[in-house]
Amino acid sequence: MLFRLENLSHQYSDGTLALDNVSLSFAKGERIAILGTNGSGKTTLLHHLNGILKPTAGKVYFEDKPLEYDSKSLLDLRRRVGFIFQDPNDQLFAPTVKQDVAFGPLNLGQPADQVKKLVDETLRLVGMAEYADKPPHFLSLGQKKRVALAGVLAMQPEVLIMDEPTSNLDPRAASEILHLLLHLNKEYGLTLILATHDVDMVPLFAKKLFILSKGKLVTEGSPKELFSNADLIRDVNLRSPRITHLFEVLKKENNLPVNSQLPLTISEARKEILRLLNLEDAAKDGGEGESHERS
Amino acid sequence: MAHSELYAQIDRYAYINPLAKTSPVTKMLFALSALIISVSSPSPVVPIIVFAATTILLLRLAKIPVHFYLDMLAYPTVMLALSCLIIALFFGTGEPLTQIAFPWFMWTIFKSGIALSVATFLRVEGALSCLFFLVLTTSITDIFITLRRARVPKVLVEMALLIYRYIFVFIEVAEKMNTAQKLRLGHSGWMRRIRSLALLSGNLFIRTLEQGERTLTAMNARGYDGNIRVLEDQPPAKKTALAGIIIFDIMLVLAAYLTLNTGVL
Repeated sequence: MLFRLENLSHQYSDGTLALDNVSLSFAKGERIAILGTNGSGKTTLLHHLNGILKPTAGKVYFEDKPLEYDSKSLLDLRRRVGFIFQDPNDQLFAPTVKQDVAFGPLNLGQPADQVKKLVDETLRLVGMAEYADKPPHFLSLGQKKRVALAGVLAMQPEVLIMDEPTSNLDPRAASEILHLLLHLNKEYGLTLILATHDVDMVPLFAKKLFILSKGKLVTEGSPKELFSNADLIRDVNLRSPRITHLFEVLKKENNLPVNSQLPLTISEARKEILRLLNLEDAAKDGGEGESHERS
Repeated sequence: MAHSELYAQIDRYAYINPLAKTSPVTKMLFALSALIISVSSPSPVVPIIVFAATTILLLRLAKIPVHFYLDMLAYPTVMLALSCLIIALFFGTGEPLTQIAFPWFMWTIFKSGIALSVATFLRVEGALSCLFFLVLTTSITDIFITLRRARVPKVLVEMALLIYRYIFVFIEVAEKMNTAQKLRLGHSGWMRRIRSLALLSGNLFIRTLEQGERTLTAMNARGYDGNIRVLEDQPPAKKTALAGIIIFDIMLVLAAYLTLNTGVL
């Protein structure tokens, strides 16, 4: 297992128990979403994964070794586990985009020539190459998020942790970030962990889902498993994806013979509708429409 | 033009003006040497030359729009004019220019006071034009890198770098809070306005502390070890440009000597 949390608890100095005896694990190359309402402990959990916070009880294992908190071990961990903060203004401190992206690689002691190349490549990857010499305060929020992403990717991490990567973004910017992340996962095998309450985005992104509520891990599983349990989702003050909800209502109120496995995404819904209309052949031709959703 | 827009615009010109890609060493050397000579010149002619030279460079080479330059000059010039008025009316010794009799005291305006006032005005305007040249043609990144190369203590340069970046963040925050206060009628009446301003300042201070903490966390997450490293990729200073600046400076010093006796001082 890449990461394993064992009976992890965290109590802040003001007495708030933000995480209460959480145990979970996941493997390399996975796409994980941690789902929960505001104040459920998502961010606190993420902060334990690259040593920003130290558990007040329990342990964090990275590649089956417990995390050490001396500066050398932390530096090594943080090179491999990148963290993208919710507000890019927290992260972008340098006077220009280029300087900000160069900060991480320079801290790793890479030579200037190599860093320059890396900065160019990374900015191209996130589509911000033409903004290299601009100061961050000239950029839109979506652009700032991309630069923040580039700043972490330039350190060539194996794991990417993101706190609400799509929050406050317009639909197009959110969709672009999402596709970029999926591309990084498929192309480079980057392990992705993100915290979110955007339930419509989760089925498109995550293979595995952890649901937190009031600091406790409520359940884990695939989006399909978890979202089919509508009562549980309601109990933790979340909701199903809109499209799933629609099919749930159609099934309950209109007795439509919908498959017990409710669709979670537009492409699944499309197949289900075509099936209900007895047009299954058309559904097969439709193929994988998932990657074009939301754009 | 709102203040924050003016700041942002200065910054924008610094990145896009035609002189942005020339060596920051050249530009800083020009601006600083002209500034020092202008301020220390006993003759009023030298600040006038400096002002004219930097203004022509800014408008012609750096292609800064005239109205924008005048806008920028207007703020400090108003302040300066007021200060110089005080100097003219209340400073000086020796030969009086005029005397006004009040029942309880005799108000004297001195010739030397007027001269001092004019000299101060010109020196400061000359110095201002040099600073404007620097900030309008040289991006802050270039200035920081050059300062660091010039062995300015690292802690000062790094603090300036962070302060500079977050000024813009906090201008935005302050403007938002200000609007929010206005919308809830926090500015209706003098006392309420003062109270709102106090609340805003206090709140902003706490925000800066929090922001500092979060930024440090984010920097640590990218391997910050107490040193901010930057990529240095600046064009080297051209020898001809440096020679030109030295000749210009020598001419300024000569002009100062030659016009010493014709001056108002």
